Amino acid sequence: MSEEGDSPAGAERVLADWQRLSPWAVGLMLVTAGLSLVRQHLPLLLAAVAGLTLVERIGWREVGGAAALLLLLGGALCLLYYRRFRFRLDGDVLVIQKGLFEHREFKVAARHVQHIAVHQPLYLRPFDVVQWQVETLAGEASRIELPGIRRGQSDALGRRLQADGPDSGRVEALSEGLAGEPDASAPPGSRVRYALTPGALMLHGLTSRSIYVIAAVLSPLVRPLERWLHDRLPQLDLLAWLPASPLVAVSLGLVAVLLVLAVLAVLAAWWRFHGYVLRDEGERQVQVSGLFHRQEQALSLARLQVVEWVQTGLGRLLGRGYLVCHQFGSLGGGADESRRFLVPGLTLNESERLIGELWPGGDRVPPLSRVSRLYWRVLWLRILLGLGAGVTVLILLVGVPPLPLWGWALLSAGLAGLAGVAAELRWRALGWGRRGDYLYVRQGLWGQRTSVFPLSHLISLTLRQSWLQRRRSLASLELQVANGRLTLPFLEASLARELADRLLASVEGATVESATRTFPETRRRSACAARR
Amino acid sequence: MTFHNEAIDPEALPSLAAVPLTPVSPRLAPCQAILLLVRWLVVTAMVLLFPVRDEALALWQPWLAATAGGLGLISVALGWVEARRRAYGLREHDLIYRRGLLVRRTQVLPLVRLQHVESLSNPVERAFGLVRLACFTAGGRGADLVLEGLPAPRAEAVKQHLLARLSAAPPEPRQTEEAP
Repeated sequence: MSEEGDSPAGAERVLADWQRLSPWAVGLMLVTAGLSLVRQHLPLLLAAVAGLTLVERIGWREVGGAAALLLLLGGALCLLYYRRFRFRLDGDVLVIQKGLFEHREFKVAARHVQHIAVHQPLYLRPFDVVQWQVETLAGEASRIELPGIRRGQSDALGRRLQADGPDSGRVEALSEGLAGEPDASAPPGSRVRYALTPGALMLHGLTSRSIYVIAAVLSPLVRPLERWLHDRLPQLDLLAWLPASPLVAVSLGLVAVLLVLAVLAVLAAWWRFHGYVLRDEGERQVQVSGLFHRQEQALSLARLQVVEWVQTGLGRLLGRGYLVCHQFGSLGGGADESRRFLVPGLTLNESERLIGELWPGGDRVPPLSRVSRLYWRVLWLRILLGLGAGVTVLILLVGVPPLPLWGWALLSAGLAGLAGVAAELRWRALGWGRRGDYLYVRQGLWGQRTSVFPLSHLISLTLRQSWLQRRRSLASLELQVANGRLTLPFLEASLARELADRLLASVEGATVESATRTFPETRRRSACAARR
Repeated sequence: MTFHNEAIDPEALPSLAAVPLTPVSPRLAPCQAILLLVRWLVVTAMVLLFPVRDEALALWQPWLAATAGGLGLISVALGWVEARRRAYGLREHDLIYRRGLLVRRTQVLPLVRLQHVESLSNPVERAFGLVRLACFTAGGRGADLVLEGLPAPRAEAVKQHLLARLSAAPPEPRQTEEAP
């Protein structure tokens, strides 16, 4: 970019003309496309390599030639994609033209933007190039990426597109450098809402779900490791210092495995959340984090739909959890959670303070009410049926164990007891409460997720009554919100109806207010556009 | 940011239970019955014609097919009764759809959340002159409310009403894609 483009105002002026990606984007696209292809077709690739090793006529020279040819072809395609890719700002509308074989044009108006993310992998830092992503209200499926633009362009785009968002009276300048220290990079006028300390980062690593993910990823290595130990252990003479008791040896082994998993989980958290800072820039909330792969995410408060306070089972023991800020189109539960606006390593008090700062009045969590005790029976029956089905499948696979009659009775009683404990835990975890304009819904078993949202953020609702519920004057309320469905099962029917009426009145009342507020502005914009 | 928390009288809220709902077309019942019948005929035929090697099991095959057929008939009968009980309501600010026999569901979609409306019909529905209206909201991965069993002219009128509400409401954010 020219010198004019280096200043914030100059960058915005320059963006009015067609812009190309940074030339470094060609290499970046080659790397990311290659990695993505390998990741998606790994089994096919491994099978091809295995097949090639069996064909004697194909040697290293042929393989190297084919790889070079593929690399050349990929490079040429990336170069062509780079040439076809251009973007510009037309007023408050970002226009993107791209396409290799099919030319496509995208237009994203500033008032439609709900989320902007900026990524800077380590290898792009020397070139001051970032990957820039924007997401509209259509949700994650609508994500559009500029794969490699200069930092100044990214800042100008963020400033321009989120400055024109709704209720954006206090938008400040964006940070000037991702690679710098968080405090140094903070723009004037912004303040740090929350900074992650090393201790909190370690606790987040230990209590996050990544420990289970790592265990699942490493599980295929168990069998080769077992084989290696079986072959090698007698030669290494380790038996001399291993404990004589098999029980102690197995326990020590388990502790070692858990320690390795814990260390890996902490390293993963360190990789993702090193230097995490959440900055308040008025309407925008900006978070910056990452050890090598720096990420910056900007959240518009006007687009914030649901805040979720998540604690895993271990997190509840250690008193730590994290907040997930949901916007339109995000999946519920833990699916793809790492890509969301996530505030890690919080205590309960810190989470309540943050919710209160995002939504004044939302921090005062009311005492949560439980649903009807009948729901415990339903849960018990469901879990018992599940366990019964599991045992039946096991018997079909392994065969009927030679148990006496009292053994079968004991097994049945054990399953019923286990189902009872699980049902009790789920029933106790499920709670809901309303205070002022906010609804609180908690769900879980060992871990718990508490969703907080203003009543007016409801999308739709369903009142469900089964035959049993009608007899007992109960009803279930299914609430569709931005991050999926929240169910309040087995409420008193009158209470469920009253809550439904109140929710609908809040949505529709808020809309009427918003319409009267927004209409003059919308009409003014339309008139300006027509004059242009 | 100022925080308001004004008290609301719950008695003054419009009640969902008090809304008079309009039954869907009576032609939905035979239409649903035919669709269910076709589905269960396929299942029954598959059970009957599945190649079973074991002779002992093969003896039971007609009985299994008869059970599937019986279940199908029960399903068709329940589907008929259920279709007769479906109803919908259109209020100033929301759309209501009630369905279900053993488990009754009343779904409410505030019109302000509406993004676009689609009208759909399969050949059987077209033979009965019925149309489905699929209502979509922002960020959803599928239709949030599907209104089944409307006669074609009524469906068109409801659709026009919803579209009129959409154009009257402040424009909801949407990503646009155009050919150059």
